[in-house]
Amino acid sequence: MDQQSPQRGRDPLFGLILIGIVVVVIWLMLMPCFPGLAAVTLRRFQLRTDSFPLWAIQAPVPSMYNFGNRYEVRKIPEGLLEPILPPPPPRYINHFPTRAMTFAFGRYVHLHDGSDRWITFWSSYRGQTLETKVHLKPVGEGRFEWLVEGRE
Amino acid sequence: MSDQVCEVSPIVADDDNSLPVPGSGRVLSAYLVVQVCLFLGLVWKWWYFQQADQIYQQISISDSFFPDWLESPRVVRWAYLGSLAGIILGVLGMLPWIRQVCAAVVIATLGVLLVHQASYNDMTFATSLWVAIWTFWFSTRMERDEPAFLLRRGAFLARVIGSMILLGGAVGKWTPEYWSGDVFYDIYFRDRDYWVFNYLREHTQPETLRTMATWYSRKVIVVETVVGLGMWLLPAKIAAAVGVTIFFSIAFFSNNLLFSVLWCLVGLSAVGFFVIRQPAAEQTQ
Repeated sequence: MDQQSPQRGRDPLFGLILIGIVVVVIWLMLMPCFPGLAAVTLRRFQLRTDSFPLWAIQAPVPSMYNFGNRYEVRKIPEGLLEPILPPPPPRYINHFPTRAMTFAFGRYVHLHDGSDRWITFWSSYRGQTLETKVHLKPVGEGRFEWLVEGRE
Repeated sequence: MSDQVCEVSPIVADDDNSLPVPGSGRVLSAYLVVQVCLFLGLVWKWWYFQQADQIYQQISISDSFFPDWLESPRVVRWAYLGSLAGIILGVLGMLPWIRQVCAAVVIATLGVLLVHQASYNDMTFATSLWVAIWTFWFSTRMERDEPAFLLRRGAFLARVIGSMILLGGAVGKWTPEYWSGDVFYDIYFRDRDYWVFNYLREHTQPETLRTMATWYSRKVIVVETVVGLGMWLLPAKIAAAVGVTIFFSIAFFSNNLLFSVLWCLVGLSAVGFFVIRQPAAEQTQ
């Protein structure tokens, strides 16, 4: 091949991307074996990672339809009134159960009337469950405050 | 990485004596297919994002977990539009440096969408980000590498990304809630208005439907696991066919909105179809 022809030059970016993928795959493959790693993802799904940067760095890890995630939305605080009939079981949601309140139509359906909402999120993976209770408190002009009230 | 790692199946070029010029021909076609599919995935839910934008304007949530600017409806809107503009300009720009700058802009905007309060949960932006990373790398090599070599590498990286994404789905389902079928029954079989599930509800008894949900779920787990672990090892053209089929069928048989997540992976998988057979002299090197 002469010098005018295209070369197979050095390509560090290719290697860098492959390293990134290998790191993600190792992370994924270790998750079922090490409960601590699964716990990190449980906290990721409920926006409870210790810091935003630590949460954000996990964002590229693919997690389509991961874990058993459920949520329940109430118009009154838990335990204030005992329901006559047992409430329906919480519904499953594909990933990030918090999306039920933050994402598009979920945000509209639950918050458009401007009233308080109390939500419980559960995420489970191979025997571990993380539960979070959140109060969405209206503060006026369509704004709500996200207050984490209970953690397990 | 050695060429051996990227070795792929012997795929015959249209004419082995007239291999394409760098940055044109099959290389350009592969780039364009990926860009068109990436764009298609991002605009697939255009109406949805449009209505979501109005909702975010009317209802805001203040959560100390997110930085203020990542709760702003303006940021999510402009990041989304910026990603679309980046793809369009990259395709129309033609010049290598324009393609590269645009690909970097697409990565940056998708990165913002992936951590914004209004869009972090949408896997559209996770799969699109990986495809955008592939695009950026590819755009830096289009004018520099031999087309045959670049296409083999591009196809290899594409199927490694596809494998990783499938594996991400599989590992998260290695849990009793999915193996029993509870999650898919609740999300899809019970009341999802989609042709597959409407048909099954109309033509089966409730207890049969529940059993079908279990086997549907197990089928998904097995397919994602096996293909996730093995697709990257396949020859380019076979991997391309497997990837296009799997990613298309996941959406087609479960949820129309999932095409926003998967079109970009259909396009990325298709890169394998463009791989050119190496000249005999090079194969022996």
